[in-house]
Amino acid sequence: MKAPDFSYYEAKSLSDAIKFKSQDDEAVILAGGQSLLPALNMRLSSPSCLIDISKLKDLSEIKLDDNSIYIGALATHNQVMDNLIIKENFSSLIEILKMVAHPAIRNKGTHGGSIAYGDPAAELPAFAVANNAKFILSGLNGNRTVEANDFYLGLFETDIKPDEILVGINYPLLKSNEKIVFEEVCRRHGDYAMAGLIAKVKINQSVIENIILVFFATGDRPNLTFNTSKLVVKNGYDYSSLKKSLSSEIDFAGDLNSSAPMKLHLATILIGKILKKLEN
Amino acid sequence: MSIKNSVNISLSVNGESFDNVTVPTRQHLADFLRSQGLTGTHLGCEQGACGACTIEMDGKAVRSCLILASQANGSSITTVEGFDDEVMEKVKNNFLKHNAFQCGFCSPGMLMTTKEIISSKKKLSRDEIRSEISGNYCRCTGYQSIVDAIEESINEIN
Amino acid sequence: MDDMKVNQNPKLGSIDRPNSYIGRSLPRENAKKHLDGGGQFVDDLVLPRMLHVAFLRSPFAHADIKSINVDEAKKSSGVFDVYTAKEIDEFCKPWVGTLGHLGEMRSPEQTPLAKKTARWQGEPIAVVIANNRAQAEDALELIEVDWEEKDAQVDMETALDENAVIIHPELGNNLFWTRTVNQGDVVKAFEESHEVVETTLDFARHTGVTLESRGIVADWNKAETKMTIYHNGQAPHMMQHIIAKHLDVNEGLVRIVSRDVGGSFGIKVHVYPDEMAVAAISKKLGRPIKFIADRLESFTTDIHARCHKISGKLGVDKEGKILAMEINDLSGIGPFSMYPRTSAIETNQVLNLSGAPYIIPNYKAVGTVVFQNKTPMCQYRAVGHPIAVAITEALIDKAATKIGINLDEIRKINFIPDNAYPNKCPSGVPLEDLSHQASMDKLLGMMNIKEIEKQKEDDLAKGVLTGYGVIAMCEVTNPSPLFYGVGGAHISSQDGASIRLEGSGAIHLSSSITEQGQGTEAIMKQIAADQLGVSMDTVRVTLGDTDATPYGGGTWASRGAGIGGEAVLKAARTLKNNILDIAAAIMQTNKDTLDIENNVVIRKNGEEGISLQKLAETVYYRGHEIPKGTNPELLATASFLIEGIPFVFTNSAMGCHVSIDQDTGIVKINKFWAVEDCGTQINPKLVEEQIKGGVVQGIGGALFEECVYDDQGNMQNATMADYLVPMAYEMPDIIVDHVTTNSGRSIIGAKGAGEAGTGGAPAVIMNAINNALGKVGSEVTSQPITPEKILKSLNKI
Repeated sequence: MKAPDFSYYEAKSLSDAIKFKSQDDEAVILAGGQSLLPALNMRLSSPSCLIDISKLKDLSEIKLDDNSIYIGALATHNQVMDNLIIKENFSSLIEILKMVAHPAIRNKGTHGGSIAYGDPAAELPAFAVANNAKFILSGLNGNRTVEANDFYLGLFETDIKPDEILVGINYPLLKSNEKIVFEEVCRRHGDYAMAGLIAKVKINQSVIENIILVFFATGDRPNLTFNTSKLVVKNGYDYSSLKKSLSSEIDFAGDLNSSAPMKLHLATILIGKILKKLEN
Repeated sequence: MSIKNSVNISLSVNGESFDNVTVPTRQHLADFLRSQGLTGTHLGCEQGACGACTIEMDGKAVRSCLILASQANGSSITTVEGFDDEVMEKVKNNFLKHNAFQCGFCSPGMLMTTKEIISSKKKLSRDEIRSEISGNYCRCTGYQSIVDAIEESINEIN
Repeated sequence: MDDMKVNQNPKLGSIDRPNSYIGRSLPRENAKKHLDGGGQFVDDLVLPRMLHVAFLRSPFAHADIKSINVDEAKKSSGVFDVYTAKEIDEFCKPWVGTLGHLGEMRSPEQTPLAKKTARWQGEPIAVVIANNRAQAEDALELIEVDWEEKDAQVDMETALDENAVIIHPELGNNLFWTRTVNQGDVVKAFEESHEVVETTLDFARHTGVTLESRGIVADWNKAETKMTIYHNGQAPHMMQHIIAKHLDVNEGLVRIVSRDVGGSFGIKVHVYPDEMAVAAISKKLGRPIKFIADRLESFTTDIHARCHKISGKLGVDKEGKILAMEINDLSGIGPFSMYPRTSAIETNQVLNLSGAPYIIPNYKAVGTVVFQNKTPMCQYRAVGHPIAVAITEALIDKAATKIGINLDEIRKINFIPDNAYPNKCPSGVPLEDLSHQASMDKLLGMMNIKEIEKQKEDDLAKGVLTGYGVIAMCEVTNPSPLFYGVGGAHISSQDGASIRLEGSGAIHLSSSITEQGQGTEAIMKQIAADQLGVSMDTVRVTLGDTDATPYGGGTWASRGAGIGGEAVLKAARTLKNNILDIAAAIMQTNKDTLDIENNVVIRKNGEEGISLQKLAETVYYRGHEIPKGTNPELLATASFLIEGIPFVFTNSAMGCHVSIDQDTGIVKINKFWAVEDCGTQINPKLVEEQIKGGVVQGIGGALFEECVYDDQGNMQNATMADYLVPMAYEMPDIIVDHVTTNSGRSIIGAKGAGEAGTGGAPAVIMNAINNALGKVGSEVTSQPITPEKILKSLNKI
């Protein structure tokens, strides 16, 4: 499994990388490489050139301002997990990242890489959608902001344009009555989930006022639900009605480890698990 | 800058300098190291899933099959051949004591992961140790003796 | 970890001697190199002028090759040449994977590269030889093949139907082999039974996934007409014969070298077409050729195993005594039987071993093995045992439930008593020196079933499903010539050891047994040092080189300790005897007054002796000082084989406790216990590690591993991320203990211990899961027992 031949270019700056990318539509961006390199080694991908942006230090900043947390696209998962701003303001993200692959992968894999790749079984795209995050893309014509929920268009299909590079993600700061909870079911620790759920909840005096439910590993992209969320707020956990609602909202796609009916069942019980977590 | 299918890299491996070495752009770091006779780093899947190729790059454990040699320009690498400090000697003694290896093929990667566990200075439970090594495949031991060796190493060193 | 057990075997001498090493859990000092990156695996080898190969493999399960055009590929950068069957066949004769001792067995000739038809996805059809593997793979993409896809036969249950796709038209149908075992009269016995229980179980194909993949460097030296093969195989002498035979080379000039092997478990004991092609290429070019299977091709070309569907029936009387057992087993192999051990052995062991621990006067077993357009199947750790033990133990649990007696009780009622040996399996295979009663008693002591039963009720009240299982099994070890040799295979059942005292006082030992990490080298050293009376660090060992070791079988079927170890013991005793003869002559005393301790020939009365080094120096350098007629001999050789019975069996009792999450279907193994009786344990720690590693491999088959195929014969999960091997987090801590019943067949009394864990774990886990599911009226009958299957059984989906 040796990669096919390609050229390698170490970008000197972001604009350099953008320029290079726009000139060659078969060039790909190399950030953490933890998804790209396996694809190359298995010859599932034959780019003309790898544009290495991994050494652009200013793209890995993590900043806090009045109402948002900014995570630079090149911050590695472990950098995010070790970061004080994240620990103090966004600890749910750390808990979620513990489920992502394994430590050595997390030392290289980047936040932006996972977001931009858009694997429907991954946690971070769903996390971004649940938080209504804003993605900052930089291209030949400058910067563009896209809302997370508008970014994922289909199976590994995103709104990123050929000349664009994802440079950072803005997450709104959680208000005092807001909480992120998540649950996933996987065969082995660190594997992609059979089904997962990230929920952003607004609680008012122990009552759930609003709940955003985003499922992952269920379809071809993060699955944000509407009617199901409303049902949960209205009636709490009821397996049959929630299952019925989910089956009408999400186009479940089975995979090697779980069929579509199983994912539907798991998605339903995940709501129950989330609600139980909130009680505690 | 012109584009070639080979690049020149300079890096240090286990304290030894490699200056201006020409590598194919597509060659991953594990293959580069092995081509230099440092065959302790093993290939089990070239997909990042088995952990056999785990080495230390600039102080962090990484999968060397998922890094291009080209990217290692300017880096400081430590492979299993370079695990000779006092801490790792204790770890290796515990691995030997508990027979925490049989065929030895997973050992370099397993030791690298262990090095990172020890460096974190955290006192981990057996379950937590299992979680930390959950990305290193071993077919021979069933993992229990490895957990035993790491548990004893944590208790001894930290 | 110095673990002095009670003297396991008085025949070996007192455990109070300074050099008493047998039975001690000494660390493997010789293996420390692995922790320093000092292993010598096949891929680490670089030879001058070595070339690398990559194979073009069929993407289809069944397709005709109308034409292959390699012209463009040959021009690719770094390519030396590209071959198809035409070039390879000139240098390698085809083979047939059949043996003569198991009845009629039909498998067609097989060549290294497919000629006109590819019959499994992954079958090699062309090979690129290049400067490096990457360039070889580049050229693969330039080979043009005109394929004509055919229907594939991928369902073993329809393989013998009238409208099945006949994989080998010249054979007329897809039947490879069938056998019926018939003891007593099952029909009558079932009629007389108080209760009859039935079940049908199915087991998915899975594979070994050795972390180090298959690899070979073949080096044909034209000037010396010598073929040297560096190979990570288990049986070097077997390969020596096969290379010689098929490549038309003088067998005495074939050298097979097996250094460090990164796990094998039977995967690397078979003959693979791609490896034979590599040897042929080397012979043709007169240069070293290297092939290392990558992970993707390992999944589709390493042998698969365990694809079985088995129905079973058990009849018991009112008290639960078994009157009859009947099984019918179907297995789907690949399109060829593997060479040279045949793909019949797995099924044969299912027929031979079902019901093995028990007295079953009426037993009928039918096995049918059919061809499939899938990866070839053959022996993989615990060959056939997982199926044999699972069907037996599942039926016994069902009978216990029906009759209303405890799971352990029904087994105890039916065990062959510990004092009733020699005896026979229900199938008629001879058994001796086993301890099912003592082992089960020991297991029960470890498990505390009363507590588990009580906990189960408490758990159920809280909505948590828990269950437990206990099983008993026999494990095939230490095979005799009646396993393979009798059928015509050049697979040695006799192994040898050669031991010498050198001028420096060092001891050199060589053995025909090989090492794949289980600790062969360590235990050989322990035996030699123990029996000679020298310190461990005096002994160095050579294994895995047909030029430098005695002739023998290698390591497989758990024969290393029992057969190879006995040869070492005998050779060491002979050398000791020789040394004492010389010492007696030199010291002018009676041999009976002497012994060897800590490398010194001592006088038993405490007076001064002579060091082995000084004795050796005298013999080698100053022979004139030794009394004439002494004929000093500091080299000894001995061999050993098992005679008169097909195998030496071990027995195990295993238990486990599981929890089932009713929402997710995920099974957690809370606890696992194993009691193993493998006779003398040369190094108890290493035995324990074999059990633990084996159990985890068995958990893989029980809960995680399967080769998933679509209906066109495409393997769907042939990557390391998709094929689920056991990783650390999900595995339990395993508690191991022992009963010791030495084998009467040897002085050392050791039996094998390498496979029981893998053989018994799937059965006990399935029983524990069904013990839990039984509380809510459901069961599972298909392995791997995935969360989806659990949820389906609970009617959640």
